[in-house]
Amino acid sequence: MSDANTGGSEAGSDHDHDHHTGPGYASPQAAIEEGEREQLAYVMSLYTGSDVDAPDFVSVVDLDPDSETYCEIVDRIEMPNRGDELHHFGWNACSSSCHMDGLERRHLIVPGQRSSRIHVIDTKDRRNPELVEVIEPEEVFEYDLSAPHTVHCVPDGQILISMLGDADGDLPGGFLELNDDFEIEGRWEPPGEIEMNYDYWYQPRQNVMVSTEWAAPKTYYPGFDLDDVEEGKYGRRLHFWDWENGTVEQTIDLGEEGLIPLEVRFLHTPESTHGFVGAALSSNMFHFWYDEGAGEYRAEKAIDFEARDHPDWEMPVPGLTTDILISMDDRYLFGSNWLHGELWMYDISDPANPRRADSLSVGGTFGEVQGVQGRELAAGPQMLQLSLDGERLYWTTSLFSTWDEQFYPEEGERGSVMLKADVDPRNGTLELDEDFLVDWGDCPAGPARAHEIRWPDGDCTSDVWQ
Amino acid sequence: MSSYDVTLERVGGPTRTIGIDERETVLEAAQRAGTPLPYGCRTGACGTCVGRLLAVDGTASVDADAAEDGIDVADAFAYRREPRALKPRHRDDGYVLLCIATPETACRVAVGSQVQSELVDNPWK
Ligand code: FES
Repeated sequence: MSDANTGGSEAGSDHDHDHHTGPGYASPQAAIEEGEREQLAYVMSLYTGSDVDAPDFVSVVDLDPDSETYCEIVDRIEMPNRGDELHHFGWNACSSSCHMDGLERRHLIVPGQRSSRIHVIDTKDRRNPELVEVIEPEEVFEYDLSAPHTVHCVPDGQILISMLGDADGDLPGGFLELNDDFEIEGRWEPPGEIEMNYDYWYQPRQNVMVSTEWAAPKTYYPGFDLDDVEEGKYGRRLHFWDWENGTVEQTIDLGEEGLIPLEVRFLHTPESTHGFVGAALSSNMFHFWYDEGAGEYRAEKAIDFEARDHPDWEMPVPGLTTDILISMDDRYLFGSNWLHGELWMYDISDPANPRRADSLSVGGTFGEVQGVQGRELAAGPQMLQLSLDGERLYWTTSLFSTWDEQFYPEEGERGSVMLKADVDPRNGTLELDEDFLVDWGDCPAGPARAHEIRWPDGDCTSDVWQ
Repeated sequence: MSSYDVTLERVGGPTRTIGIDERETVLEAAQRAGTPLPYGCRTGACGTCVGRLLAVDGTASVDADAAEDGIDVADAFAYRREPRALKPRHRDDGYVLLCIATPETACRVAVGSQVQSELVDNPWK
């Protein structure tokens, strides 16, 4: 149950949902109640950076336990080119457009992190989606942007993509806007608002957006180098934007404890100004919120994951908190410590004081479970996705091709896996489902990496409410 | 206009020599010749296409361990644009971005994803 600080969980009376005709659900609670069990997952799958001579693809994974092809990749949508490094992707529309007549959550916007090419996939036929549009890198470079990352829809049918670099793979990054015909509309923000960019999330009812920082593409593309950290080439700041104007209102420097703030999530409740960001390198979770009294946002370290000693590693190993998500009811925060091999679940009913509920030690450097169904796990848990009802947590194991090569070289040779844990939200527990395994090691062209996961009907990391 | 024989030695794989026009990048020529190389951005920013120069025409082959000072990439290739994904230490060690490098002499280059993974190692190990 949310406390008063989170802003309550009832849809506000100022916002009339009787005329809900557009995509998505009227409220997070409606998503929980009306959403059906996930039958399919779309998963980014890639060969970029390997010696397999094939393009990256989007996998359609069967998640229906009653199906004969449960846990299998039942369709693969190949990209037209090699070298994209598919990474994050998103829907053309989400619950934030629930008033837009005629708009459908039907098209997936699938950017290539390395190529800067942007693909559009039509999922009208959910089991056999089709590639329908391609925006070539040269068109993107014309706006002096590259390295597309997070895709969110904008409430009126547009699509906004965070871009991490300029046309040369240098700083600054920015935001690229597409219109509802999937054409580049232009840059979203006035130039010069930010240097570094990565993930973002917005709360339209609060007129706020928050964005995070990775580094210049040319810094992180070739691999992770501690020298770059010392030289200040990696980010550690949060930017709070005026969502309507596209301007930065406030920047918070998280300091040494907040190095490399990656995934950022507001609570789903549209009134809430609370959120969390995972500082991957420092392996800390920061809670941020709007301080009414001060009239500005604040951020405070809320969870600290200690580095651990390992006999084969010369220095204490950081957890490397690479992904987080918030359950649709805003009760739990989940995350992955990719290097340690740990999935964790915290009760965030009081967001300023997260309380550890449970964790699962799987894969990675310290994981207690190092194999599932006889399949060795080559890496720790990475990208996460949760069922709308909060009872099934899924994850893949690849972070980024060059970083995988550094930390888990076997990931490239064996390919990734997708695994699942059963979550008991009532008791706050996680249990590995040993019957579930999707293996990218068996792909026809050779072992592939697997990254972000999405559900056809929207998910805990894609949907925003007005 | 000249063309040079460039030998691509895939680490742990086959070796192939292709004639590359001085106006053509190694990546373009390799694709034309059906010898796929890894690549990503094609603009010199991501490092996915990196190779390591082993020898230039007429010189003895350079053993990676023996090459304290590396080998000067400028003796073998011109760049179409700035090789942004390479740090000075990588350039000094003979690494070359094949998506933007055009040959200026015959040479031998180590290629494939293994070369990329040599660029940066695990800082904690
Ligand atoms: S393909 Fe990116 S640097 Fe050559």
